[in-house]
Amino acid sequence: MSGSRSKSIVLWTLVTIALVTLSAPTIVVLGASFTGGNIITFPPDGLSLRWYARISQASDLRNAFLRTLQVATVCTIVAIPVGTLAGIALAKYAVRFEKTIQIYLLLPFTIPLIGSGIGLMLIFGNAGILGQLWPVGIACCVINLPFMIWAVTASATGLDPDLELAAANCGAPPLQVFFSVTLPAVMPGVITGSLLMFILALNEFLVSLLLVDARIVTLPVLIYNSIRSIITPDLAAISVVFIACSGVAVFLLDRLVGLDIFLKSK
Amino acid sequence: MRAARTAYPLKWRIMDALEGVAAAIWPARFGRATPYLMLLPAVLLVGLLVLGLIQIADASLRTLDTTTFQFSDDYSIANFRRALTEPLFLVVAQRSLVAALIVTAVTLVFAFPYAYLMVRTRSPGLRKFLLIALFLPFFIGQVVRAYGWLIILGNQGMVNEALGLVGVAPMRLIYNYPAVLFGLVQYMLPFAVLMLAPALTAIPEELEAAAGSLGANWVRTFIHVVLPLARPGFIGAGVVVLTLSLTDFAVPAILGGGSQDFIANAIYDQFFRTSDQGLGAMLALMLVALGSILVGLVFALFGAGTLAMGRSRV
Repeated sequence: MSGSRSKSIVLWTLVTIALVTLSAPTIVVLGASFTGGNIITFPPDGLSLRWYARISQASDLRNAFLRTLQVATVCTIVAIPVGTLAGIALAKYAVRFEKTIQIYLLLPFTIPLIGSGIGLMLIFGNAGILGQLWPVGIACCVINLPFMIWAVTASATGLDPDLELAAANCGAPPLQVFFSVTLPAVMPGVITGSLLMFILALNEFLVSLLLVDARIVTLPVLIYNSIRSIITPDLAAISVVFIACSGVAVFLLDRLVGLDIFLKSK
Repeated sequence: MRAARTAYPLKWRIMDALEGVAAAIWPARFGRATPYLMLLPAVLLVGLLVLGLIQIADASLRTLDTTTFQFSDDYSIANFRRALTEPLFLVVAQRSLVAALIVTAVTLVFAFPYAYLMVRTRSPGLRKFLLIALFLPFFIGQVVRAYGWLIILGNQGMVNEALGLVGVAPMRLIYNYPAVLFGLVQYMLPFAVLMLAPALTAIPEELEAAAGSLGANWVRTFIHVVLPLARPGFIGAGVVVLTLSLTDFAVPAILGGGSQDFIANAIYDQFFRTSDQGLGAMLALMLVALGSILVGLVFALFGAGTLAMGRSRV
């Protein structure tokens, strides 16, 4: 980086503050989960794994976690074909009303989550499917769909249309062109998008809160409901599940497509 | 001839059958419509949200009869009037709007240097470290992060315990406005950095060097070269942070402890505490309108920035 000393001092000061702010909750939750005492104190009361032992015994936590996984799976399975097709269509073809379609497909981001959540709650309520898990997965898919479309369009714009024409010219029918040329070319986008969809659905809180009832509560909602003014370490130990999932997702993203993909300009 | 045909690999025969089916239900002369067919599932899925909005609009025009707990069959704008006149909602709306503006400004101030350093650093190790430090909290839900702040800042939290060791009386660090703002900034930072970074990548580093060789110091280079060129990134990041913080629920609920409700919390309370669905729906509709107006205003003034999807154009 070119520039003077004062530039790096200013930059690094701001970045350090940002880094500390970003990392502090994660580090503290991790630390708190290993505490030996009954409440979280500073300095900590020694180290122990007793809270992990405690939460591994609790069936309500385990069930909530399994339900959360189920929601995230439904969300991802729906998002992959829907988002991939839409992303390729937007990136490759000159569609009519392109601007309008784009604005329409950005609705999940422009409508506030509380609005989307309540709207879906009313629709699902009328359809009589509230109280099941798969509608929650669909809801998570709808509200995060632009992430999937973005990821796919980003890799599809790099695909040379001549490649598909060449394949067709060599006699490949349309589906074969799609599966042997188009799809492999956008695969990095599909992987990035599906990882994002999965992890965001895993963490989705507000829409879950609106769509679940006490019988099918998901883990983020369970944690929210359990937060009291007295802070006990068992919640910290559950929260570590999310930190671990996040770590795995970051690792996979880096291994499969490289985190640098997010720095690329369009 | 037939024997040779069965000798084809199974995959080929499946593909041939699929191509046949595809050609039968979607002949080549429909080719021009193919992109629309590909867009259809996404359009239908997002259509759920439109249906939801219609439902909300319908509910918002029905008033609750407090004696029978029934909703009126005919429409009226009584809820609209109540939403505008009740002082509670005005306080909540003002609190959310001011918070959204402050959070946006503060987040952009911290996100820009982060994105800049991440894009411009020559060290791949540092870049990866910054990316991981960004993505790890991004992928950890709001609830867990807010819980982390409770452990740090709570009344029996780490900061207060540490202050107690040196004889300072415990301070109330959470359940107030600054705590909510702080939590929101932390929540928004990854969004903002990820929206800014591509815009910064697009700025050729030579431009900065050129400005420097013409005698501009780094502050002037930033103000006259980098910041103007990064505008699409600032628009994208600004819009995302503004709307997400304006409409947030979890951070005000957890770090505000019920005393710092935002619009989303007021809506939730109307639905699940007072059970006045009509008024709650009206508030939700007004929030959607407010958010859309803000986004529309920014887009009309500055363009869609890095938020645009689809084919890249200059």
